Amino acid sequence: MKFFNLFKKELKEMLNVSTIVTMVFTVFVMIMAGDAMSGAIDEAEEESSSITICNFDDTEFTKAVLNFLENPAGGEKNEVEYVTLESDDYVSELKRLDLKNVVIIPEGFAQKVENSEQAKIIYVSRMTSLSTVSNISTGSSSAMSLIEAAVKSAFYTSKVQTGALKENEVTMLENPVEIEEHTVVADKSEKVAAALIIAATQMSQMFLPILVFVLVIYSSQMLLNAVATEKIDKTLETLLSAPVSRLTVLSAKMLAAGVVAGLNAIVYMFGMSKMTSSVSNITTDSVDGLDEILKNLGLTLSAGDYVLVGIQMFMTILITLSISLVLGALAKDTKSTQTYIMPVMIMAMIPYMLSVFVDITTLSPVLRYLVYAIPFTHTFMATQNVMFDNMTLYWAGLAYQFVLLVLCMTYAVKVFTSDRIFTMTISFGKKKKQSEEHE
Amino acid sequence: MEKVLEVKGLSKQYKKGVYASQDVTFDVNKGEIFALIGPNGAGKTTTIRMISTLLKATEGDAVVAGHSILTEPDKVRENITYLPDEAGAYKNMKGIDYLKFMAGIYAPDAAKAAEYVERGKEICALGDRLNDKIGGYSRGMARKLLIARAIMPQPALAIFDEPTSGLDIINALEVRRMLKDLAQKEGMSFLLSSHNMLEIEYVSDRVGIIAKGHLLEIGKPDELIKKYDAQNLEEVFERVVKQ
Repeated sequence: MKFFNLFKKELKEMLNVSTIVTMVFTVFVMIMAGDAMSGAIDEAEEESSSITICNFDDTEFTKAVLNFLENPAGGEKNEVEYVTLESDDYVSELKRLDLKNVVIIPEGFAQKVENSEQAKIIYVSRMTSLSTVSNISTGSSSAMSLIEAAVKSAFYTSKVQTGALKENEVTMLENPVEIEEHTVVADKSEKVAAALIIAATQMSQMFLPILVFVLVIYSSQMLLNAVATEKIDKTLETLLSAPVSRLTVLSAKMLAAGVVAGLNAIVYMFGMSKMTSSVSNITTDSVDGLDEILKNLGLTLSAGDYVLVGIQMFMTILITLSISLVLGALAKDTKSTQTYIMPVMIMAMIPYMLSVFVDITTLSPVLRYLVYAIPFTHTFMATQNVMFDNMTLYWAGLAYQFVLLVLCMTYAVKVFTSDRIFTMTISFGKKKKQSEEHE
Repeated sequence: MEKVLEVKGLSKQYKKGVYASQDVTFDVNKGEIFALIGPNGAGKTTTIRMISTLLKATEGDAVVAGHSILTEPDKVRENITYLPDEAGAYKNMKGIDYLKFMAGIYAPDAAKAAEYVERGKEICALGDRLNDKIGGYSRGMARKLLIARAIMPQPALAIFDEPTSGLDIINALEVRRMLKDLAQKEGMSFLLSSHNMLEIEYVSDRVGIIAKGHLLEIGKPDELIKKYDAQNLEEVFERVVKQ
């Protein structure tokens, strides 16, 4: 009985209306994020399963290979789109034809097979982001495998079964098709496999969002707790009744939180750059000149790029601080400060998860603009925008962040310089308590 | 007699039309201890917060040392110190650092700040414990430190909400004596707020009885006791409120 009474009391304390509202809200947001991600993944999968072929080898053999590609034995029919490239300037050709990737069968393909020489096909893919899902191309991979299988089968029929197989032909049978891969990034193209680029950039792609996420949560928690603790301990009343302007108190608080968050960012960045360089060195060392290729493709950040990414990070911190200041003013007790950090956390979590897995620019318009409305999204996308030359998106994001910062800051200043800093509360369903007002 | 505080028709109305305090009028003379007494939720803290420039008055005005809370809040803050009820201090700060920090805000220069700190040390009488972090202080020690902080800059008007809350009987008595001494010998003025009417009866020169946001009666404790034919201030309060 005693235990049950105690348990009931503890449960009531912990499971209050605000906790339940937070839980429901979190689940709702998670479901939304999940839907957004699955939508983007479905879309990416659909796009990735398409096969685009550019055939320069007008021979019966190649036609037979492509026929096999369209109607593989024992498999489902493949939809194949045929295009004609007018030049080997893959950047402009992919742009002109609005293609994500294309498999090129060069002239003389059949002749090489006929001569028992390794035949070559060229695979060109355009990278629009470094996210995992956006770079999957199952269609092209299976197309190349099917072409290879068709060549192998033809070779087997013509050579192996007749028993006229020479030594060099045995080696050729093992690897009948050479795949030459080209990757296009923005307006640059390099002879390199996209998979290699993804492997080399994976660490930076993973860790920069983590850094932004940590920064947002850290700076938010710091200022929110600072304001909430001062309010709860009533040291804020002491301070604001002293001969010092409220704006001075506010500026000192925000600057201190900004400095500590900035220091934290520098420490994290240093640690992570050391960690990522060690890990990515393993990848880049394994391929000659990969560093140079990444640089040529614009997939390494220059000093100017770091400044651009840094500006958005700074904006993010300032927006976080102004939002946290208002949330801190809402706090009634230490328990509520934990609840009020949730909106910031969720706002950071959605774009963080999305940016790692999907290319946000490919989300459906409604979802995309909803995600763009979250100010932190633009910072998570900053590196990608700079690397892939999406500068319109970068500047638009920065402008949006600036407008939002002005609005948030104005409201935060309004709260801090008015009665609201002492009287503001949130009530979930219940009639707003006005105990403060009646004292 | 020189007036340190003049409160004229001060009101605080919230959006829903609820008055936390309404048409409150009183004054505090130099060297006087004036106390607002009333139960919780009577409007004491709201009135005090308006005078301390923390909340904006919706009607009326208060003038502190010649400065209006509406038009010159910065000047008002230079002439007051405010000690909220159950106020805390920065737990990670040492007691001495807290005194230095607050002295730095109130003092016009470093020399004056050092003078304030010496005075603060003397008032709180915490000795070597001032070198400890405030988080390790008992509630009484922290309250003494806060009282010292509020008195050390010798403001024209010190505003204390429940001045002895958290103090034991001996420390509470010491504080009451100190307040009386400061008012009588140094001419400091105090505006106190309390629901401990026996304390107020002992320490105050005049009291204002406040209930449901209205100031119902003002007078010297002994005169009010006589006027309402009561034994003490508590009985006076009961009769005033019931009227």
